[in-house]
Amino acid sequence: MTSDELLAVLSGKLGGELTVLRSVEHRHGEAGRPIVDLWVEVPLARLRDAVAALCDASPPHITVISGDDLGDRIILNYHFSVGWGTHYGEVALILRTSVPTDNLTIPTISDLLPGALTAEREKHEFYGITVDGIPDDRNLFLPEDMTIHPWRKDEASVQRTTSMVKRLVKWETRDA
Amino acid sequence: MHNERINIQLDGGKSEMTYSIPIGPTHPALKEPIRFSFELEGERIVGVDIKPGFAHRGIEYMGMRRNLIQTLYLSERICGICSISHPLALTQAVEHAAGIEVPPRAQAIRTIIGELERIHSHILWAGVGAHELGFDTLLHLSWNVREKVMDLLEQLTGNRVDYAIPIYGGVRRDIPEEKAHLAYEALDYYKRLLGDMIDAFLHDKSVEMRTKNVGVLTYDEAVALCAVGPTARASGVNRDVRQDWPYYTFADMQIQAITPRDFGREPVGDVYDNIIVRLLEVGQAIDIIEHCMEHMPSGELMSIPKVPALLAALKKAEGEGIGRHEAPRGEVFHYIRLEADVEEPVAWKVRAPTYGNLMSWVPKFLGDEIADIPIIAASIDPCMCCMDRVHFVTRAGDRSTQWKQELVRRSREKTRRMCG
Repeated sequence: MTSDELLAVLSGKLGGELTVLRSVEHRHGEAGRPIVDLWVEVPLARLRDAVAALCDASPPHITVISGDDLGDRIILNYHFSVGWGTHYGEVALILRTSVPTDNLTIPTISDLLPGALTAEREKHEFYGITVDGIPDDRNLFLPEDMTIHPWRKDEASVQRTTSMVKRLVKWETRDA
Repeated sequence: MHNERINIQLDGGKSEMTYSIPIGPTHPALKEPIRFSFELEGERIVGVDIKPGFAHRGIEYMGMRRNLIQTLYLSERICGICSISHPLALTQAVEHAAGIEVPPRAQAIRTIIGELERIHSHILWAGVGAHELGFDTLLHLSWNVREKVMDLLEQLTGNRVDYAIPIYGGVRRDIPEEKAHLAYEALDYYKRLLGDMIDAFLHDKSVEMRTKNVGVLTYDEAVALCAVGPTARASGVNRDVRQDWPYYTFADMQIQAITPRDFGREPVGDVYDNIIVRLLEVGQAIDIIEHCMEHMPSGELMSIPKVPALLAALKKAEGEGIGRHEAPRGEVFHYIRLEADVEEPVAWKVRAPTYGNLMSWVPKFLGDEIADIPIIAASIDPCMCCMDRVHFVTRAGDRSTQWKQELVRRSREKTRRMCG
């Protein structure tokens, strides 16, 4: 799949609500044939439509969801690989959406793509984002009773995480 | 993508007839901590819940408080076995974000060290797999022959692990002409050995009995659950970053993802297929290294050789990028965002292969027996230190210690029973 074909799939479903941020070509080796990563943004309300369009076109692979706390909103980048299976056939798609900090709720995509569940549970515990419709919202990597969200950059979260780590270090080294 | 076996996991897989056993965080299949809670009907596994996180160290958080060169060294310590894979993905992400070129010779050297890592990792895994089945002779033989590639890595880089080879815009060490014979010698050694390894693992009656149709991940499950690396390829999923999105010197080669079909077997996605893929990938790595050695480009090793100049260039950089590398266990992925006049990355996300394969364990365990737990757990070649990144104190109960011995005993007993 080429990046143009992928763009056609997404804009066919989302029309003007799809914002193309950039399509970047990288040349590796001496042959000079480029590999592509495509960065697009969709409104949160159309996230599921975008993922459904990808699933209809060719089975996408979700690698992870990366996040970035900008204060008033958290940016989420859904990292997909689309078109795998042939030499140079894949486009790395970064599907971006942003979630306002005063309403940290996103819809699940794990019913469309079950492989997204681990990444969604991680965003729930590390950012405190509620994932609507998620089949399992228990903490995955963090302790089950932990309510601090370590990747949030607001001061309260950072201070609480830091003081928790200090308490743990003190506890661990009490006999040293 | 409806699949009943996947839904079982999401529903918890419980029924009134079952009983539960917790296994881990300390247990026999892995030398790293993870907790499995199995639901059993007699000997048969009908549900499983997985709890990782016991080795989470907060590495991304630490990286965002260090300059990019310090972050590079930190990335190398995410995992001892994949100690080139994370730096390769991180440097690629930063180079893509900052627009830094990598000279062709440096790309070839990165490729060679990455493939040498694949050889040692796959042989390491083969030994672990043999141990879980009770064949410690095969474990010792495997790990003995692995020493050759470890020696070569030490001769080429100075270290057995944590090679400190990639730097943004190139590599820190050359593979000089006078050391090339060491590489060829090791490659010849493994070429001669590979047939014997395939014979020892894939044509052994008891290995076949313990691994065929055990720990099955079907093609549809592997695609739906977004499995990566040999775990996905063993199920016939034709995915390999080196083939699909060729980077570094792979861009000049015709890499093809290896599946059990290359061994003449229609993929089932069982443990046996996992062994096939990993052993054949040792042969593929040998070919790739040979190609790189024979076509080694001449030229510079670094596009910005002076570290102060490199740091200054990185400090000016603004942008974001992704880096992807097909590590021995599957795709390693790094995302990075840089801001001008900020030395640290402002956002950094690491995705290790075990994270991608975590959910694949569930369908693999379902329907199999307690005695198969160690080999199925090992079949995805999991790495907790890669996937987990906050250290927390865990409770070590007597029960998990007891189960460690009990599970190994059951696994070995099953092998003996099946061998008559």
